[in-house]
Amino acid sequence: MLSEKINKIRNEAILQIQSAANEDEINAIRVKFLGRKSEFTSILKGLKDLSPDERKSVGQLANSAKREIEEALAQKGQEIKQKSFDFAAEKIDITIPAVKMKRGHLHPLTQIQNELEDIFISLGFEIADGPEVETDFYSFDALNMPPDHPARDKWDTFWIKSDGEQKDKILLRPHTSPVQIRHMENHEPPLRIISPGKCFRNEATDAKHEHTFYQFEALMVGEDVSVANFKFIAEQFFSRFFKKKITVRLRPSFFPFTEPSFEFDISCTVCGGKGCQTCKGGGWLEVGGAGMVNQNVFVSSGYPRGKYQGFAWGFGLERLLMMRNKITDIRFFHSGDIRFIKQF
Amino acid sequence: MKYSYNWLKELSGTKMSVEKLADNLMLHSFEIEGIEKLENLKDVVVGEIMEISKHPNADKLRIAKVNIGKEVLQIVCGAPNIEVGQRVPVALVGAKLPASPLGGSKGFEIKEAEIRGVKSFGMLCAEDELGLGTDHSGIMILKKNAKLGQPIAKIFGLDDVSIEIDVLANRGHDALSHVGMAREIAALEGKKVEYDYDGLGVAKKKTEALLIEVKDKNLCPRYVGAVMKGITVEDSPQWIQNRLKMSGIRPINNIVDATNYVMLELGQPMHAFDFDKISDGQKANIIVRKAAKGEKLKLLDESVKELGENDIVIANEKEPIALAGVMGGLGSGVSKNTKRIVIESANFNASSIRRTRMRLGIISDAALRYEKDIDSNIAEKAMARIIEILEHTAGAELEGVKDVYPKKVNPWKIKLRLDYANKLLGETVPAGTVKKILRSLDLKVAGSGKNISVGIPTFRLDLRTEEDLIEEIGRIYGYEKIKSRAPLVSLQPAKINEKRIFARLVKDVLVSQGFSEMYNYSFYSQRDANLAQLGSLKHLELENPANPDQALMRVSLVPNILKNTRENLKYFREFEIFEIGRVYWPAQNLAIEQVAQEISGKTTKSSAAGRLKEILPEEKEMLVGAIILENKGKKGEKREKRHESNFFIAKSSVDNLLSRIGITDYYYDNFNSSPVDTPRSLWHESRSAEVKIEGHEDAVGFMGEINPFVLAQFNIHTRVAMFEFDMQKLFSFVQQEREYSPINRFPSVTRDVSMVTDGTIKVDEILQTIQAAGGNIVLDVDLFDAIDFDDGTSSFAFHIILGADDRTLTSEEIDDVVSAITRALEEGLKVKVRR
Repeated sequence: MLSEKINKIRNEAILQIQSAANEDEINAIRVKFLGRKSEFTSILKGLKDLSPDERKSVGQLANSAKREIEEALAQKGQEIKQKSFDFAAEKIDITIPAVKMKRGHLHPLTQIQNELEDIFISLGFEIADGPEVETDFYSFDALNMPPDHPARDKWDTFWIKSDGEQKDKILLRPHTSPVQIRHMENHEPPLRIISPGKCFRNEATDAKHEHTFYQFEALMVGEDVSVANFKFIAEQFFSRFFKKKITVRLRPSFFPFTEPSFEFDISCTVCGGKGCQTCKGGGWLEVGGAGMVNQNVFVSSGYPRGKYQGFAWGFGLERLLMMRNKITDIRFFHSGDIRFIKQF
Repeated sequence: MKYSYNWLKELSGTKMSVEKLADNLMLHSFEIEGIEKLENLKDVVVGEIMEISKHPNADKLRIAKVNIGKEVLQIVCGAPNIEVGQRVPVALVGAKLPASPLGGSKGFEIKEAEIRGVKSFGMLCAEDELGLGTDHSGIMILKKNAKLGQPIAKIFGLDDVSIEIDVLANRGHDALSHVGMAREIAALEGKKVEYDYDGLGVAKKKTEALLIEVKDKNLCPRYVGAVMKGITVEDSPQWIQNRLKMSGIRPINNIVDATNYVMLELGQPMHAFDFDKISDGQKANIIVRKAAKGEKLKLLDESVKELGENDIVIANEKEPIALAGVMGGLGSGVSKNTKRIVIESANFNASSIRRTRMRLGIISDAALRYEKDIDSNIAEKAMARIIEILEHTAGAELEGVKDVYPKKVNPWKIKLRLDYANKLLGETVPAGTVKKILRSLDLKVAGSGKNISVGIPTFRLDLRTEEDLIEEIGRIYGYEKIKSRAPLVSLQPAKINEKRIFARLVKDVLVSQGFSEMYNYSFYSQRDANLAQLGSLKHLELENPANPDQALMRVSLVPNILKNTRENLKYFREFEIFEIGRVYWPAQNLAIEQVAQEISGKTTKSSAAGRLKEILPEEKEMLVGAIILENKGKKGEKREKRHESNFFIAKSSVDNLLSRIGITDYYYDNFNSSPVDTPRSLWHESRSAEVKIEGHEDAVGFMGEINPFVLAQFNIHTRVAMFEFDMQKLFSFVQQEREYSPINRFPSVTRDVSMVTDGTIKVDEILQTIQAAGGNIVLDVDLFDAIDFDDGTSSFAFHIILGADDRTLTSEEIDDVVSAITRALEEGLKVKVRR
């Protein structure tokens, strides 16, 4: 009897829930069927008057009916809620451009400097720094270019106005080699350093020449550091930098601070050496100068003659960047033009 | 220098094509600047006149049948001198003729033509039409044995190629000559040159007609003079002219050409004086001396130079007759009427020549060689050679030779350890190969085993050390044969350069905040300095600036950043830029001796010690950032909006930067009346601050808006806020390690307090009062509203975040704290708290 009643209430409740149209109706149905004054509640209250067996079976049935009604209410409630939200009213044109996030840019010279430093650090090289305003001793004398040496003319040096003993002694470093001397003065081999930095040469500026530029030099000194080792380090470096296998070609050159001296070329980064437009058909790209440190330079740095040997090499960062990123005019680097910087 | 390929071939005996030769030189010796083939007279060949007939329609023209070997051509010709049987130059259809040396024709292409009704397939040429001379009187008649069909260029030695080779600075002694270059080429092929260099010597023929006096043997280590008579000055033979042309030298006459020819052959500059112009007719007196100060000399190029005591001149007893080693004098040179000459083959001090040449701005082939330093022994060989040539080309007869050579230069020896060579190259070159290479360079090799002795001929002035020899071995052997090898080194990680890492971090933080990085020149002009209020500061000045706008070394990054701002405003309305770079403060104010001691103290172990008295400026790495925002207009800058001013945008950048790099205990202070590191007047008087670290009086940096008047001077008409930091100072305050503090497990609550102040109270005072009154349960205080009223009062509202790390606060506790704070504000700061 009682069971039938419960089933009936349940069926009726579910039927009404299904036809409910809004949240108010749902609430009304909840009060009507499960509220304190509902028939269902009074049945539950009356359970205590039943026999234990009956109480158990009717109780179970009542509980499951209640749960079913509650679930139906919840489900229908959710359905109504979702239907009541007007998605169409919030339609947007997804192709409208978004507000631009503020974005800054590292200068390409910083970027390449970071890349080079990371590669060399991984090869065990230390980064050494030195002054940009230098003495002529560290820039020339110590590098086997005594006063009046014709090679000094090649550097087109910027000189600082000064008088007395300082006259014609203070200059803007035309290369970062002075850093190597300063480092060797204070360190014993074996040593491996790079010295990247700002350099100055008083030459007329055009698309290929700048009076202010960034040079990158590497120095490795030990008791048996050789030309073969230089080739190895150079190939390692360039292969990692260009992310492809690069071979290095050495050609004879002359620098007062190295003996033997080389110009070094790398296999063309575009065609790999077969010959293309970039390398003008030759298969090679000219990169920089290098050589085995002249013993006179070691002596200037305080090492005994003949005890050590090592290689030094240098190249311009701008040139490497121009090569890699196809930049046509070196003057962009110091132009301060955001339209240039933001491309990197 | 430009070299004649044919001449090099003749001297070196090489069979290499010009391209192959260029490749080989490039890899083992020198860079090739260019290869220039003579395209002249292509398609002009030898032909024989078979038959001549009259032109039917023209009296002055004739029709010739010309055999050019493989065919017979009909050619209409107007010249009177042609006869059957003659061999003549025939320009074929398609041939391009050069401009006439007489200036008449500008050069033209031969086309098939019909001349007065008769077809003509080419042209018979006169000398001038081929550019071979000035004769236009008739068709050029060639030798009977000239081969039919052979290109004319070949007959006249014009089938040559000019190779321009960039000789390395240390090889100017020997390789700026055809013999030197031929020696190099022969070595590349493992051969030796055939040239009888050692056999060249001057006959010891005395003459009374020449006196030579060298005043300073250091300035002129050797002077060989010769007198020759019976000269006929005329054009040189064609082959000499051709070789000069291929080497880029203009033929002049047989005497001058001979001096140039020998210079090109042996590398020894030579000069010829007209004997009668420099002597009294009997005796020429050559004096090599320093010029007197103010002495003047008119040179061959007709320029008059005023000389100084550092210049060397060749003089007679009256006056200078040549600027030694640089250029001859106009008055003493060879002319058409010269009959008797004095030839000079001398050696001069290289740096003296170089200084003179540079001071006077003269570029000459002689100076170019002398300044590279030349072997004194070549002077004699060159003299022998020119005498031989002039006897043939000018009918000259040697009267006698004088040789002043006080200190003979002898060959020297270098000890070479083969092990060292291999160790330095990193490649084992077989001993036999080493010796062969050295011998092919004309070096004398003695000894066997691991140590050998190498004799150096005096013309290789560049070979002085063992390493010099190793370079010769390496390059001739071929650097491409040296295999790359990993160095054997201990596995120690590189020492980190902390400052560079720090600079990278700062850059990365700024970029993440929207700043773009600038690289500026280290220079600016005095005007820039003045405009940026830096004009009164002492700057380093350049002796030779690239231009007047770049004459000062910067003491601040600000002027160039302002220029960047101005330029970029042309394309962008709002942007952020920064630069990290060095500034240069003159060391003026430092005690000079102390610095000198400091420097030399550091370098005692090197040769720098004791001689290093130079004082370098102080270089400081600076950071300057600039925020450029559009003008807000009058309304936006009204009192009630001042909390949104650009100053606070810059401040927010600084806050974020400092916190990201690990500086927390900093605060903003009023601008000092006269800060040391930045000019007060650069900044906006009431919108700028010093950034300080707790417990340190000196500022680490400055920030604020830039004085609008300064901006206007830079033609910037918007607001610019900047910050400026000394990187070294910043770095010194960075806390490397961050320590974890436990996350609070108990809830925090927020209470808002708002108040009205009389406008004299700083927000910082309010914050400190709240913090002090609330004690450690005040976790944070945020200003969320601020209004300034026209009557001078201001209203502020704060969120106060309260909490404890060991309990949940009760509402009584919270109320108590808030009343304590309210009390403190009202009593301590006399503000009116709203309730």
